[in-house]
Amino acid sequence: MDVPHPEPAPVGLSRRTLIRRGLLGGALLAAGGAGFLALQSGTTVALPADGLLVFTPAQFAVLDAVARRMVRPRAGWPTVDQVGVARAADRIAARVEPSAQKELRQLLGLFENGLAGFLFGGRTRPFTRLDGPEQDAVLTEWRDSRVAVRRTGYAALRTLVLAGYYQSPSIWPAVGYGGPPRIFEDGPSLPEWKGGGEPRPDGNGVWHGEPLP
Amino acid sequence: MTSTPGRILAGRDLTVNTTLHCDVAVVGSGAGGSVLAERLTARGLDVVMLEEGGYWTRRSFDGREDHSYPRLYQEMGNRATDDQSVLILQGRNVGGGTTVNWCTSFRTPRRVLEHWRDHHGVKGLTEEALVPHWEAIEKRLHIAEWPLDRMNANNQVLWDGCGKLGYSRGLVRRNVNNCANLGYCGLGCPLDAKMSMGVTLIPDAVEKGMTVVANASVRRLLVGNRRVGGVEAQLLDPETERPTGVTLTVMAKTVAVCGGAINSPALLLRSSLDGNGNVGKRFFLHPVVIMSALMPEPVTAWTGAPQSAYSHQFIDRGPGKLGFLLEVPPIMPLIAASVFPGFGEQHQALLETLPYTQTTIAICHDGLLPEDPGGTVKLRDPEERRVSIDYPLRPFHFEAFRAACKEMARIQFSAGAREVRSLHSNPVLIKKAGDIDAAMDAAPWEPGRVRVATAHQMGGCAMGGDPQTSVVDSTLRYHGMDNLFVVDGSVFPTALGVNPQESIFGIARWASQYVAAATS
Repeated sequence: MDVPHPEPAPVGLSRRTLIRRGLLGGALLAAGGAGFLALQSGTTVALPADGLLVFTPAQFAVLDAVARRMVRPRAGWPTVDQVGVARAADRIAARVEPSAQKELRQLLGLFENGLAGFLFGGRTRPFTRLDGPEQDAVLTEWRDSRVAVRRTGYAALRTLVLAGYYQSPSIWPAVGYGGPPRIFEDGPSLPEWKGGGEPRPDGNGVWHGEPLP
Repeated sequence: MTSTPGRILAGRDLTVNTTLHCDVAVVGSGAGGSVLAERLTARGLDVVMLEEGGYWTRRSFDGREDHSYPRLYQEMGNRATDDQSVLILQGRNVGGGTTVNWCTSFRTPRRVLEHWRDHHGVKGLTEEALVPHWEAIEKRLHIAEWPLDRMNANNQVLWDGCGKLGYSRGLVRRNVNNCANLGYCGLGCPLDAKMSMGVTLIPDAVEKGMTVVANASVRRLLVGNRRVGGVEAQLLDPETERPTGVTLTVMAKTVAVCGGAINSPALLLRSSLDGNGNVGKRFFLHPVVIMSALMPEPVTAWTGAPQSAYSHQFIDRGPGKLGFLLEVPPIMPLIAASVFPGFGEQHQALLETLPYTQTTIAICHDGLLPEDPGGTVKLRDPEERRVSIDYPLRPFHFEAFRAACKEMARIQFSAGAREVRSLHSNPVLIKKAGDIDAAMDAAPWEPGRVRVATAHQMGGCAMGGDPQTSVVDSTLRYHGMDNLFVVDGSVFPTALGVNPQESIFGIARWASQYVAAATS
């Protein structure tokens, strides 16, 4: 069994306050913005040729780094680069509402941030400057944290990154999935009924019996 | 009475601000709205149905998760409680949940109806009153037991395990006609074999004159003194989901809100109708915990009718405890990657066993205990469609989760599982049946540390006799308004303990008489 380890709350904030403020609550996020530890720059990565829709290059680098820990190089599996995971995550985020986009951007900032890392885990380097095992330790720390908002943040980040990878049909062979049955290929040739006086095509859903009481 | 032919319009079909006039505006096209609308058109009433999601048919269904979740589900399949502790699968398209659910059809249990009568002052909603409506809907939707000889390997594990342990078990009744047992119910049926609303009652009503407008997000009800005059909707671009700038106003003699247990309370709240503080309260979601088993033979849990076996062995566990219903979910790669725990090599190794993986789910029956107030739906930014969903997981939930995970593991081992895993964020591996209790007792039972999900959303506009404690009366009319009704799963004062679609069909069909009577 996993024994929870004691964990300091950020200065001036009780854990209860943090939890009450909910996901990415204001005070916790404020820690993502200021202070000299926060100003330590992270690494940069090559940006998609067609640009970014939601995230900044720095946030994109965090997504990319997380993706490389969430999905390891493995025989028979497409790589993070082949799938373009961080780009796909940016495109997924482009379809959510502005307030949710803002929360995701804040989450990535907080995850990267040296000050927040120091307050929570005693590390001062940005996430993207840690080596692989250190990054895994940070992910595990968020996952198993006694602070509920960090578990929430882990879940949100994990969902986004895994969606960016596993949305790709190129992963199907790796997980032993053969794809949808051929019958779906008939779809585009089928009629689409929209009323307007046109007769409704017959089909399984059409009722041929007496009117029901 | 209508004179123009009915039709189905999408967001792009309306390019200028438009006002329509009708007898009844129905907001939402799922199990509740569709059954209601069909009954009203059968009585000769002129109905306009507004749906926030898109109009998708088997012409566009392609069986791909990456396309289907964004098109057919709320928030692209990523809806969750604010703290992300409960994943919420909920339909969003013309047909609502019926387009994507797993076809499981149960009548409302008698003990639940009696509980509503005895504890919530619900009058007249008896089994006797509902039977004729259930019978009609079962006929129309071809609801029948799925035969044992067509059960897939995934369900067979639950069936066999319950058989070996002497637990009660049953065959699921499904709303299908000429089903080919493909297993893609959750992504839209390519054969129109699933008797979803989009292929049955919605076109039935359109043939009788109903107008459906898809991609229409109703922002507010036009509220007057004791009456609503209609509704106002923003049209959305079907590709980007952003407002096109076009407004659709529907003036109606009666309005029925049928957006489901999250969107119906949100619409009332946006319209400054809070039902004495009751709107959005008593929100229940049948919280689900999951156990994953590695089987010796391939299961390919993405093939075959998704749900065909169930067990009600643990549905009533006595006072102070949540009962649970055992069923089986289909597994597909994208949803599995999200729901299966861990990351990196551990996670990938688990996904490599996908063809051999069986999962069982326990659907916990919330809302019956006196100490269970459920969750709360609230507004965030009223300009946005995303709402705040709070569902605190309490000690009685975790008691049930732990008990359910133990029972599911016992069933899976009894059916031959090699190993079983809980879906804790740090997964717990159980290698033999003798280890189940110790492993589950030692696991962390806290929000965010164990995967909890729901595909059943109920409550939020609870029906009841007392306006101080409920939102709608026993005819589903909003307390204090003469021509506003709520007709969907949000009116349930508790959860059901069974998959909700047939309960929603039945109550909507029953309530259509009151909606019609209020329309003059």
